[in-house]
Amino acid sequence: MSYNKPLPKINADNRPFWEGCRVHELRFQRCKDCGHVRWPPSDLCPACHSTDSGWLISKGTGRIYTFAVYHVAYHTAFTTNLPYAVAVVALDEGPRLLTNIVDCQIDQIKCDMPVSVIWEDVNEEITLPKFTPLASEPV
Amino acid sequence: MKQMLNDLSGEDAVFGHFGATGGYALAARRAMHEFGTGPETWKKIAVGQRKWANLNPNALMQSKALTEADYDNARWVVEPLRLPDNCLITDGGRAIIVTSLERAQDLRQPPALIMGMGQHNPSTAIAQSSWMAGPTGARQAGEAAFAMAGITLDDVDACQIYDCFTYTVEITLQDYGFFKPGEGHDWLAGGTIAPGGRMPVNTSGGQLSEAYFMGLTPLAEGAMQIMGRCGERQLGPQTRTKSPEIILCSDNGGILQSHTCTLLRRL
Repeated sequence: MSYNKPLPKINADNRPFWEGCRVHELRFQRCKDCGHVRWPPSDLCPACHSTDSGWLISKGTGRIYTFAVYHVAYHTAFTTNLPYAVAVVALDEGPRLLTNIVDCQIDQIKCDMPVSVIWEDVNEEITLPKFTPLASEPV
Repeated sequence: MKQMLNDLSGEDAVFGHFGATGGYALAARRAMHEFGTGPETWKKIAVGQRKWANLNPNALMQSKALTEADYDNARWVVEPLRLPDNCLITDGGRAIIVTSLERAQDLRQPPALIMGMGQHNPSTAIAQSSWMAGPTGARQAGEAAFAMAGITLDDVDACQIYDCFTYTVEITLQDYGFFKPGEGHDWLAGGTIAPGGRMPVNTSGGQLSEAYFMGLTPLAEGAMQIMGRCGERQLGPQTRTKSPEIILCSDNGGILQSHTCTLLRRL
């Protein structure tokens, strides 16, 4: 069955991010003037307004800032996933990413739990960055 | 509809994140982690407000009782928020006429005076927020409104708090300074906000139990209570509460990203 969930809308700003995901690299813009690492992608650094930036490759590790467990499917394509966890993951490099926590017991998820990225290849173009508790952590 | 959901939710929809309940569930979960709140606190808000709705013929939930056990047994929507933590969905309208005091004094109804207002909008891409557990805009908006009015929290007789979710009521009262972080559970115990309580909150039933008219649900109720037009739920001796001289009203937008505080008083 084809993938029927919403897909990211790729544009000039976020293309390097989604191209990175495709090769399983989590890329974020880093300001070349002040070093601030930002998400979502933008022309201007939100910390110092510089237009000079490059892309770094994140280690893909961070902590769960917060999470929510969906028991209602607002979009029918998510019905078979219920209950599922949406989370904001604070990456070690600084940015926070809205994502899913997967491959773990839903009731084991906690705020500040260390997590690392795992990749869900959706189709030829799109791979989604999702997160799972670090294996070394007792669950 | 699906297309609209996707367009509104942007990349969030990719991860199954839609709408306000999910956003507030993220905020509420962080608050549980930071200062130990949770459903035990929120159910006192849902149950207390429902008791006001039971006195209000305009309330969608007038004829439906809500006990703490009903709350505990209610289904999850987006955990940690259950169905009674969510506001209602309502068609309808509500209006307030604002005019000069001079003009208002000739009108048939006694006016409610605006004695202070404050706004604060700590907006950002909400996923990048590091203050999901507060302080929200309520802190600075409240300080500005109280400074303009020249009063303190002790002068407030009742509150009409924007209540898209029960947690919104807790964090708003907390950021105004009614209690310290995490002390809401004790502050709310014993029916503080319900009929007969020492600090009535959302005396129409609010958006949780009367009707969702955005910021007009709390503001209109604040004005109506000051004007003495609230019938069976009127603050004063008949509901074993203080007769209201001053009522605090709040409004809130986004995922706790914008806030307005309005203080109303009797002429």
